[in-house]
Amino acid sequence: MSDPFLLFDLLLAGAVIALAIATLTVRDLFAAIILFVIFGLLSALAWVRLSAPDVALAEAAIGTGVTGALLLKTLHHLRYVTGSLGTNAVESLSPVQPVPAGVSWANAAFCGLITLGLATAFLGAPHAGPGLEGLVAEAMPASGVSHPVTGVLLNFRAYDTLMEVVVLLAAVIAVWQIERGLSDAPAPALGEVWEGFARLTLPAIIVVGTYLLWKGSEAPGGAFQGGAVLAAVGLMLLLSRLYVPRPAHRAVARWAFVLGTGVFAGVALLVASGGRVAFEYPLEHAKTLILLIEGLVTISIAVTLAALFHGREPVAVPAERGDNDA
Amino acid sequence: MMIDPLTLSIFVPLFGAILTFVFPRVATVSALLAVLGTCGAVFVLALKILAAGEVLVPLGGWAPPLGITLRADGLSVAMLAMTALVGLLVSLGALESLRDLRQRQYFWPLWLLLLTGMNGVYLSTDLFNLYVMIEVIALGAVGLTVLSGTREAVRAGLEYMYASILGALLFLMGVGFIYLQIGRLDFAGLIAAEASGATSAALALMVVGLLLKTALFPLHFWLPAAHANATAPASALLSGLVVKAALYIFLRLSTYMPLPDETLVTLIGALGAGAVLWGGVQALRTERLKLLVAWSTVVQIGLIFIAFARAGQAGLTESWKAAAVLILAHGMAKAAMFLAAGRIKDEVGHDRIADLDKSEIRPTLAQFTFAIAAISLIGLPPSLGFIGKWSLMEGAMAAGYWHWVAVTMIGTLMSVAYFSRVFAGFLRFDRMRGELSEHKGWALADVAPLTLAAAAISLGLMAAPILSFIELGYPFGAAP
Repeated sequence: MSDPFLLFDLLLAGAVIALAIATLTVRDLFAAIILFVIFGLLSALAWVRLSAPDVALAEAAIGTGVTGALLLKTLHHLRYVTGSLGTNAVESLSPVQPVPAGVSWANAAFCGLITLGLATAFLGAPHAGPGLEGLVAEAMPASGVSHPVTGVLLNFRAYDTLMEVVVLLAAVIAVWQIERGLSDAPAPALGEVWEGFARLTLPAIIVVGTYLLWKGSEAPGGAFQGGAVLAAVGLMLLLSRLYVPRPAHRAVARWAFVLGTGVFAGVALLVASGGRVAFEYPLEHAKTLILLIEGLVTISIAVTLAALFHGREPVAVPAERGDNDA
Repeated sequence: MMIDPLTLSIFVPLFGAILTFVFPRVATVSALLAVLGTCGAVFVLALKILAAGEVLVPLGGWAPPLGITLRADGLSVAMLAMTALVGLLVSLGALESLRDLRQRQYFWPLWLLLLTGMNGVYLSTDLFNLYVMIEVIALGAVGLTVLSGTREAVRAGLEYMYASILGALLFLMGVGFIYLQIGRLDFAGLIAAEASGATSAALALMVVGLLLKTALFPLHFWLPAAHANATAPASALLSGLVVKAALYIFLRLSTYMPLPDETLVTLIGALGAGAVLWGGVQALRTERLKLLVAWSTVVQIGLIFIAFARAGQAGLTESWKAAAVLILAHGMAKAAMFLAAGRIKDEVGHDRIADLDKSEIRPTLAQFTFAIAAISLIGLPPSLGFIGKWSLMEGAMAAGYWHWVAVTMIGTLMSVAYFSRVFAGFLRFDRMRGELSEHKGWALADVAPLTLAAAAISLGLMAAPILSFIELGYPFGAAP
């Protein structure tokens, strides 16, 4: 790499490691989550430096944004059920039981062994090993799209991507079936400033998310990144109470969850006729089909992530707690 | 025939899951149709395998290493068939045993997604695809674990999820390093790759992840609570089928990338021996019936790894067959036993082993099912479990590894001892004075486990065709 960036890279690497250690050692859970979010953002920067902008976008949107929101929501829930909501964060150190020393040592030994394995595997590996880049570049003209990552994700290895979307579907079904999900902790009261902020940012987020999706066929971006950004719209709507999930919305939500998986799998099977196998898109329609799949998958991802943030199936709540179901 | 049976055996349960989730009112019917459809696809596939030995489908028309190819051979179809049979019967059993509306509504989509993932594992020839599939399995399985909704089940499900995700991440790291090393992810690339320290370390990472997922001692800590606290059909699926997916991947990988030396094979066997002994002791000590059955799963997993290691590194070309037969036998017998245990718990109202003989109600058929499932798990002739144990010991004796024979014998005696604790409760009804109400008619829920247990016993008579079937397509021979 070029010299001017060497210092920057060293600082970045040092900061990522320091933040990881700080996240693990800090006692205050709120601080740990914030450190984790910063850790994620710097990791995204590291991915940019490693020339992997797609991974960087995913890390920033999903690994940091959505995960951070989920962690904060969980902390809010934990504080509510342990009765420490509203007290000073540092005093309510951890609602979680301390781990026995024996377990800690066993964990440390296990992690040590894993690190040893990682180190051996890393040190023995070639630094610029053979990859599939050549094959991918060769096959790109037949993929229907021009961005290699999209070609791999939506055509060459579309089967893997379909199953990744299935993983998300399985997650939301698993979360919905837990009745002991997030309890009816009162949502934090958001002031007028917040609502104004939401009003200003919502259109911008929608544009950014859609743009990420649209650019995906020729530049870094795509369904997962776009979906995660659009999920932020859902998070804002939920937090600002502009949208409150009701039991009557469940049917629509179910359709939205399965939309991406269903269309992706349906297209895969529908193209499989006349000597073709599943996922073998005819070249003249490949781009249309891939954009259609990506668009619908984006909707499903956005709705699913927002539903995961909500954390439970919307159920009818008793009248006296009627406004606490978010 | 428009779409090949390999694709169908993955997509039919997937569409079934979608339909059952979107239309909860007709969930049961569409789920049963999906399971039946999957059985049909597997049957057609088995016929193809009998004729051709192996079937390949390059998805998207892209040949590996660029694309992903589905491949079926004797072993994978045997696993698919076992999964389909157990799945169908557990589904039938679930019709009656899931009383709660909520449970019924969510059982079907989760179980069908699980089936999608497992069938995907058995047909996969690509390391990263295997990772994605075990993630699908993990989330479906965690969902099923917490389906009963009790506090204990949710806690056990959380532990299971942590263990499962950790295992999957270790596997993924190993996959990453394999790609860094050899530049491709398909099995053919693995076979062609030269063994080196770095690939061995990557393999070790993957194997540790898989052992965590399949719950080999001492990484079994999550299993007993998770399997014992789930509802009966979920327990049957988790114990009979889910742990087998990681086991199957281990079997495949260990022959494509042979374990580098004899010590490691012995270590795997030693962990198996640890599982047999520790699990046996725990099964002797536990007070609850379902926990006893769960500990017996820990024992059986250990036994499968002993079968794998029975004749050392040189014997691996044959030993995998003994392990595979034990996998098939355990799948059927354990599913039958968990369903029967669930029936007993439902009828008697509790599952405390000490009080089983003080009950007013005798769930006779479930007890009978439990006993004949135990016959296969103990390994008495003519059951399939006996065939597996026999070929384990035969191979160990031929190689002169008497220590594996000794451990297997001790494990067998222990299994007789802990299952006898339950049988004693079934038999000694003289303690109960007063009115005994016999079971009230046979329920559909009894038929499914009885059929499974009978299959586990009677398939032992078909051992020779089964053994020659799993060899079709030379699963462990030349490159696919």
